Amino acid sequence: MELLGLALPLGVGIAAVGSGLGLGRAVGSAMEAMGRQPEAIPQIQTAMIIGAAFIEALTIYALLSVFILGGKLG
Amino acid sequence: MSMKYFTLLTLLLAALAFTGIAVAETEPGSQDDHAEHDPYHLQNFVTLFFGEQLKGHEGFLEPIFSAIVAVVMMTILTSVASRRTDNPSRLQVAVEMLMGGLDTMVHGIIGETGRRYTPYLGTLFIFIWLNNLSGLVPFFHASTSSLNTTVALAICTFFYVQAIALKENGIGGYLFHMAGSPKSGVEWGIFPLMFVLHVAGEFIKPMSLSLRLFGNVMGEDKLIAVFVVLGAGMLAFTKMPIGIPIHVPIVFLALLTSTIQALVFTLLSMVYIALMLPHDEHHGEAHAHETVV
Repeated sequence: MELLGLALPLGVGIAAVGSGLGLGRAVGSAMEAMGRQPEAIPQIQTAMIIGAAFIEALTIYALLSVFILGGKLG
Repeated sequence: MSMKYFTLLTLLLAALAFTGIAVAETEPGSQDDHAEHDPYHLQNFVTLFFGEQLKGHEGFLEPIFSAIVAVVMMTILTSVASRRTDNPSRLQVAVEMLMGGLDTMVHGIIGETGRRYTPYLGTLFIFIWLNNLSGLVPFFHASTSSLNTTVALAICTFFYVQAIALKENGIGGYLFHMAGSPKSGVEWGIFPLMFVLHVAGEFIKPMSLSLRLFGNVMGEDKLIAVFVVLGAGMLAFTKMPIGIPIHVPIVFLALLTSTIQALVFTLLSMVYIALMLPHDEHHGEAHAHETVV
């Protein structure tokens, strides 16, 4: 059945929704903190990038299943 | 002066662009019988010259490029090491800035006693960074874009962290830490459960480290390959062997994610080491025992 062809992109899409929400919150708080204290901007930026990499990793796990199972799609 | 650099940079970018397109066109026999050969695959100089001999031994590809990166790293770094002079060259200043930055990062996360772990963590960062970037060099292949290298690095880090924990806490202290450091009667009661949880948590750390690095680097390389193939086929109606280099913005994105992923791997290793060290001077703060995935 072609359920795999439907399930894989849907899985990645749902993972992207979750990470989009998480990243929005993280970057939003970082922007707010930068507005409150402009002299701490480099540290906040570094912490924001590192936090974004962690949140992004969860979507990458979903993308991995596409790469691994993608060959099975006829 | 700036005109010379500008033309050099443009030539470099054009060379990158067109080489990428050229090597994507020369894919090995895509009319094979095994259907799992993906059409989005950039060549490197090993598969070009030794493609047939590599057929049954795909695992040989990664160590070759890891070794090349290691040799390049050692050449550059040892040529400026321990050179005490009042007038350092630009390369020496750059390398020392990198070392200083790494040392500051380790000091910030692990503390003063953590400086002795800087050699391993610094080497880890530079190795992963150069390996990620070598996927962008024409005719090279990023060895971290395969699970072989990333799992190897994660296993090395896992054994290093456990060895540090054993050395710093002793065998009894290590088992005590694994049991969640029980202090009250309740905690001694659930000691077996916490032990299993902590041991499972220890094993999931290298797994997530390796999968994160592998996913990001392979994702970027495959993205570049997809854009190269797309760009190569854009002007196909003119019947000329010319394509449009639309993969150049993705190459810049790959520069960013290569650095960030190397940083994240190293930072997480530092955090795992910091979690293992005896931290009895911060009794007031929250005992950070959650597993970072």
